Amino acid sequence: MNITHILFWFLSALALVSAMMVVVSKNPIHSILWLILVFFAISGHYILLNAQFLAIVNLIVYAGAIMVLFLFVVMLMNLNKETEQQKNVWMKLTGVIAGGCFLVSTCNVIFNAQSVSRELAGKTALMKEGSIGLIGTLGKALFSNYVIPFEISSVLFLSAMVGAVVIGKKD
Amino acid sequence: MNAIILSALLGVVMMFSGIVIKSKHAIVSTALVCLVILLLGNLCDTYGCFSISMDLHEMLAFNKFGQFFNTIAITATLLYVLLSGKDIVKVGNYPAEYFALIFFVLCGVSILSAFNNLLMMFLGIEILSIPLYILTGSDKKNLKSNEASLKYFLMGAFSTGLMLMGIALLYGATGSFGIEAPVARQLSNGVQQRAPILEVIGLIFVFVSLLFKVSAAPFHFWTPDVYDGAPSVFTSFMATIVKAAGFIAFIHLFEGRADEMESIWKMLLVLTIVATLLIGNVTAVFQQSVKRMLAYSSIAQAGFMLFALYSRNDMAKEGILLYAVAYSIATVGIFAILIKMKDYTFDGYNGLAKTQPLLAAANTVFLLSLAGIPLTAGFFAKYWMLASVMKAGGSSAIWLIVIAVIFAAVSVYYYFRVIQAMYFKEGNAETTEEISQGFKIGLLIMSAIIIILGVFPDALLQWFYF
Repeated sequence: MNITHILFWFLSALALVSAMMVVVSKNPIHSILWLILVFFAISGHYILLNAQFLAIVNLIVYAGAIMVLFLFVVMLMNLNKETEQQKNVWMKLTGVIAGGCFLVSTCNVIFNAQSVSRELAGKTALMKEGSIGLIGTLGKALFSNYVIPFEISSVLFLSAMVGAVVIGKKD
Repeated sequence: MNAIILSALLGVVMMFSGIVIKSKHAIVSTALVCLVILLLGNLCDTYGCFSISMDLHEMLAFNKFGQFFNTIAITATLLYVLLSGKDIVKVGNYPAEYFALIFFVLCGVSILSAFNNLLMMFLGIEILSIPLYILTGSDKKNLKSNEASLKYFLMGAFSTGLMLMGIALLYGATGSFGIEAPVARQLSNGVQQRAPILEVIGLIFVFVSLLFKVSAAPFHFWTPDVYDGAPSVFTSFMATIVKAAGFIAFIHLFEGRADEMESIWKMLLVLTIVATLLIGNVTAVFQQSVKRMLAYSSIAQAGFMLFALYSRNDMAKEGILLYAVAYSIATVGIFAILIKMKDYTFDGYNGLAKTQPLLAAANTVFLLSLAGIPLTAGFFAKYWMLASVMKAGGSSAIWLIVIAVIFAAVSVYYYFRVIQAMYFKEGNAETTEEISQGFKIGLLIMSAIIIILGVFPDALLQWFYF
């Protein structure tokens, strides 16, 4: 059992426990804080899979930007006991069905992958091999095959910026 | 490629022209000059005199059909700015930016007429929609405009989410973003293997989100509120050029992909067409405001344009071009007149024939064209659509045509109510301002186009094959 094994099991346990806590917590602020922990654990997994760039982006975008937005929204909504909405049976049932479908399909993917390639079975980390998650690979794809969508998306951002000014500026 | 690059660059030019040019009148003129440059650039591309070329990596594929549609869209925008340019600059304090956004929309249109990759389709749809959310809310002091903008944005974001989900599923099933069906599935004896369920679901998601963008039932609920709330000049742009571009993208994507969905495709499409025709036409009958009636009528017209997806043959392609021209020009004209009216209800048009005979006459031509009366372009547009369905055949073709004709007859009722108000009712229809000579000439030109295309529809199509 080397260090990557230990890290893998530690991060997996951390991710699962905090994910459970997100759902179980009564206080929405606590839920969000637990969710941030989930993202950190997942980012750790990305690093174990030799995808440093993905790990950093996951931290910046999800744990950084999106979770702060979440926190703001929850704080602005000022949730408390009185405003807590009633959960009826049907909502719980649909939740179980939706979650169950996701579980089944995820299990299916995992078992399929194991039967397709034997060498994947039992592996926990991919240190120093594979380059799919590195920024160099991304940059090469972005500036060769995908250069046209990359350049054209600038028009999209430009129009969004013009729009922000038109809508937001005081008359 | 000319149209995409030029429209983006000219959009930037328009954006900065606001700093240099202070007079609102001069901004309209600048926009017109830019549109003419764009039109020339696109024509050069079509006929091969000068075209910017680059390594496309199979992201875009240019063809005559798409370039011809670009020409139609740019010409319609040119006519639109000629007629309503003065009203565009009156909407708010940022006239140059409005034109910049219109150019960005045209960039989206030219991407949608040439995409060869789902990624490009997504970008095209977004470049098309985001400026529209802003234009809808450009009348900042008007609460209805704000509401319409927010509603449009939220609904649009949701449908974009569905589209991305669909694209992701398609990628998962085929491993590529290409718009062609995967070749590997063809067996040695030429029989196609069935598409995996993941791919079919992905296609249905994309189908639904595109139905939303062209406001077909049952995804039309945003249309009346948004068209009603947006400033009338921008409603005119949204309901015509943008909608036609949505259909071009729709046809372009499903030309090759529809067969993968097998029987589900026909069922979904026939249900959508019938629902769109029914809801659009029947609800339009009950409207009191002409602007709202036009919003519902645009849903009904979308139902007719969906026939091109049913038949998917050469005649349908010709038909959708003819439909785009006939519908865009007529609607731009009707809206241009509507903007000048003081009262947007049917009663507001009472007696317009006496006070403004030319406006009433031009409006009549446009309305007749929308209703599909012979000798106007609208008749041949509808004829081409139905004929293409007949040509494509299939068990439901004849029933679809019968339903379409019945609803075309229903549509005559609400279009003729406006004509009746203008000619046969006593009243004193008032315009908000003096009607200028240039505006009248513009209306005359557009009526002339409608009638010429109504007599010689081949004029347009031969130009296409030229």
